[in-house]
Amino acid sequence: MSEKITPDRKSILANIRIQRFTPSKHKSAYFDNFKVNVETGMTVLEALRLIKNTQDSSLTFRAFCRSKICGSCAVRVNGKPVLACSTQLMPILEDFKKDSVSIRPLKNMPVLRDLVVDIEPVIEKLSKMHPYLMENRERIPETLEQESIMSKQEHSRFDYITDCILCGSCYSACSAASADPNYAGPLTLGKAYRFSADVRDSFQGERMQAAVDQGLWSCAQCRKCINVCPKDTRPAVSIQRMRKMSIDDGIHDTAGSRRAKAYTGDVAKYGQVNKPMLPVIVNGPKGWAAIEAADNYLKKHGIEPTRQVCMLGGQSSTQKIYDKVKELEAKGDNKT
Amino acid sequence: MLTYDILIVGSGGAGLYAALESRMEEDLQVGVLTKVYPTRSHTGAAQGGVNAALANLDPTDTWQDHWFDTVKGSDYLADQDAAEIMTREAPMVVREMEHWGCPFSRTDEGKIAQRPFGGASKPRACFSADKVGHVMLHTLYEQGIRHGVNFLNEWQVLSLMHDGQRCQGVTAINTQTGRVHTIQAKAVILATGGHGRIYWTRTSNALGNTGDGTAIAYRAGLPIKDMEFVQFHPTGLRRTGILVSEGARGEGGFLLNGLGERFMSRYAPEKMELGPRDLVSRSCETEVREGRAGPEGEVFLDLTHLGRERILERLPQIRELCIEFEGVDPIEEPIPIKPTAHYSMGGIHTDLNGQTSIEGIYAAGEAGCVSVHGANRLGGNSLLDILIFGRRAGKHALEYARNNSYTPVDTGQEEADTQMIASMMEGDSGASIADIRRAMGNLMSEKVGVYRNSKNLESAVSELADLQEQFKTVRIQDKTKAFNTELVAALELKNMLDLAEVVAVGALERKESRGAHTREDHPERDDENWLAHTMATLGDDGRPKLDFSPVTITEFEPKARTY
Repeated sequence: MSEKITPDRKSILANIRIQRFTPSKHKSAYFDNFKVNVETGMTVLEALRLIKNTQDSSLTFRAFCRSKICGSCAVRVNGKPVLACSTQLMPILEDFKKDSVSIRPLKNMPVLRDLVVDIEPVIEKLSKMHPYLMENRERIPETLEQESIMSKQEHSRFDYITDCILCGSCYSACSAASADPNYAGPLTLGKAYRFSADVRDSFQGERMQAAVDQGLWSCAQCRKCINVCPKDTRPAVSIQRMRKMSIDDGIHDTAGSRRAKAYTGDVAKYGQVNKPMLPVIVNGPKGWAAIEAADNYLKKHGIEPTRQVCMLGGQSSTQKIYDKVKELEAKGDNKT
Repeated sequence: MLTYDILIVGSGGAGLYAALESRMEEDLQVGVLTKVYPTRSHTGAAQGGVNAALANLDPTDTWQDHWFDTVKGSDYLADQDAAEIMTREAPMVVREMEHWGCPFSRTDEGKIAQRPFGGASKPRACFSADKVGHVMLHTLYEQGIRHGVNFLNEWQVLSLMHDGQRCQGVTAINTQTGRVHTIQAKAVILATGGHGRIYWTRTSNALGNTGDGTAIAYRAGLPIKDMEFVQFHPTGLRRTGILVSEGARGEGGFLLNGLGERFMSRYAPEKMELGPRDLVSRSCETEVREGRAGPEGEVFLDLTHLGRERILERLPQIRELCIEFEGVDPIEEPIPIKPTAHYSMGGIHTDLNGQTSIEGIYAAGEAGCVSVHGANRLGGNSLLDILIFGRRAGKHALEYARNNSYTPVDTGQEEADTQMIASMMEGDSGASIADIRRAMGNLMSEKVGVYRNSKNLESAVSELADLQEQFKTVRIQDKTKAFNTELVAALELKNMLDLAEVVAVGALERKESRGAHTREDHPERDDENWLAHTMATLGDDGRPKLDFSPVTITEFEPKARTY
């Protein structure tokens, strides 16, 4: 009746390439190769621990919960930021049809040692974002005898962000963070939106200003953060929503707000964005420097620059779409 | 020398709540010392719920029902005055969390949602999907930032200091630099969590749940209580011990041994897989002991008969967890599991305010033992414990620190600790941390695990003494000062070896079976002789010395615990 259970468990001898660096000892980072018998079920973290326990006890990495909730062990495996604890090795070896895998520290943060990066700068940026609820007394009672009432729908506006474990994967993948060290980063802006979208909060103006000051409009919406987030918290989506909120709040004196207005205005007028003039509209007179640089570049390659916006056909259809949106807005139908 | 009015060691729920409570009026310097970053703490791993009789789902629920459930669940070893405080104050602290922004799931009326839980007579576990500990931890951290709590991140505590009557402070090593510091404090609150890692690979606990605070308190001469009680969860994953929640069995999963037999029919023919946690753990263990395990000493949780659709619809997170952590898809094959050490009921002995026998030294949460969990903790009461007693310890420490001055302290301990570390770093040949740790975990699992008897326990006590001798020869191979995680592992192992010994000695001494403590040679609960707390202190010979103290019974006379 019952049948003996014989699980199908494999094992491959793999080469684990790990980036090493101890600032007091080395001038620059280098790779060490470790041979590991990778078994079915083995995670990247298990392999790191096995190496530390049996081959090189100085191998340095962070790990704590082992179950995808603490965010300590984010590293890059074959270039992609992942949590070491929840990443199986066998499928990676099989997918890449190689017996080698590389493990490196996260990007955009200084390396303290081997796979350990300094997350203090990110925590500082987070702290400046007012990442906490300030009681809105219209929603939160003064007494602990009562709960505040928040509907399921109100809760769902920000619930997806509360999965964030501050692991830093998004920060590592972020194009804006690598271009500008002062940019707050996806996780911090996500956290800011989480509170600004909470009906129980009363601090939205100050927090919004902090978000604008720390680069709310610097995000390039490349959406890499969405691809790498192990908890599916979609930071780029929160950033978009935070931007809309800032315009609705009347914060128009930002590059992003001007760009958004230029886009809508231009499309209404020309049927497309007036790209040649965008730098000036967004950044004011200093935008001319960018335009001149572009002009010179084009001329160097034998192309004559133009300030003309080429008018497309079908302009009247665009106008119709705008009219329809205005009509819906007038009705107060924000969802459409 | 660093100074704080109040220094909290540990940044989980208990530590952060204590920090917040004592910093609320922003008049004192409050520091939180943590070996990780606060949001990494193990409180975040709690998925299910926090108990409070809010009566949002069942209007007939009362805190008195919760009180009784807690006492009964503890197998009558909980102090009933402590359990009364916890259950009566529960609705208030849960609302306070909510007022600070904690995003609990909501009912249709917009109130805090609640769900049924094992051992609870009414649905009173307040939840946030499957991440309630995580959102509580983040909420406390966020409010800590708001109120200017000072964080010492990635510091490992070394020693607790007092003058025999009053707290002096701690010594600790800054992992990022490798330097040892004295930290003077009027009050110290130890909130370092449990010590499930003494079972090493056979635990659901985080890698760092090594009982650091409990061990330094024990070495500083403070009594630690009821250490023999360790709760096992029946379904941890084979490789990592990570929990597969009870939902899988609730949905109709079968427990199979290596021969493919549905073995619960032998132990609980009616309830089968849905028997209480301790019974199911013992049944799994019996199958393994009697030679009916799978190829690597595991049994199996089989969901395959439920079919792809039902698994995808009802158990998607459990499926994801099995694929990510075990490399097994439960749609295709049975999940290999083992009972796994889950929760430490014992800890530093405290009064109802979290204060220890030394003025100004407090303990709270899994590191402490008031006791509210007695011999067995109810699901949903651990998150409550950390809120209630973190808060009480914080409040009491605040008053204490306002009314007392610093106790003088010299740098003697700092020098001794620096020397201890230097001697571990000197030389190359010696015992390996990984080997000792593995041996400790294996012997604790085999001899001080789900089943215990005098023969095994005696041999465990002597083997642990051997391991402690071996530990004295441990040498750290990594000679770099900054971020030396091998050194941290050695310090943690030292703590675990001390606590493992106390657990084993307590288990040997307690000649009865109660709650999570099962003696094959003493299978019955014995209220006449053993309705008592075990108090362990470090003896002059370096071995634990045991005393026993009465259990506080105010309302509920002990009865047989049946469900």
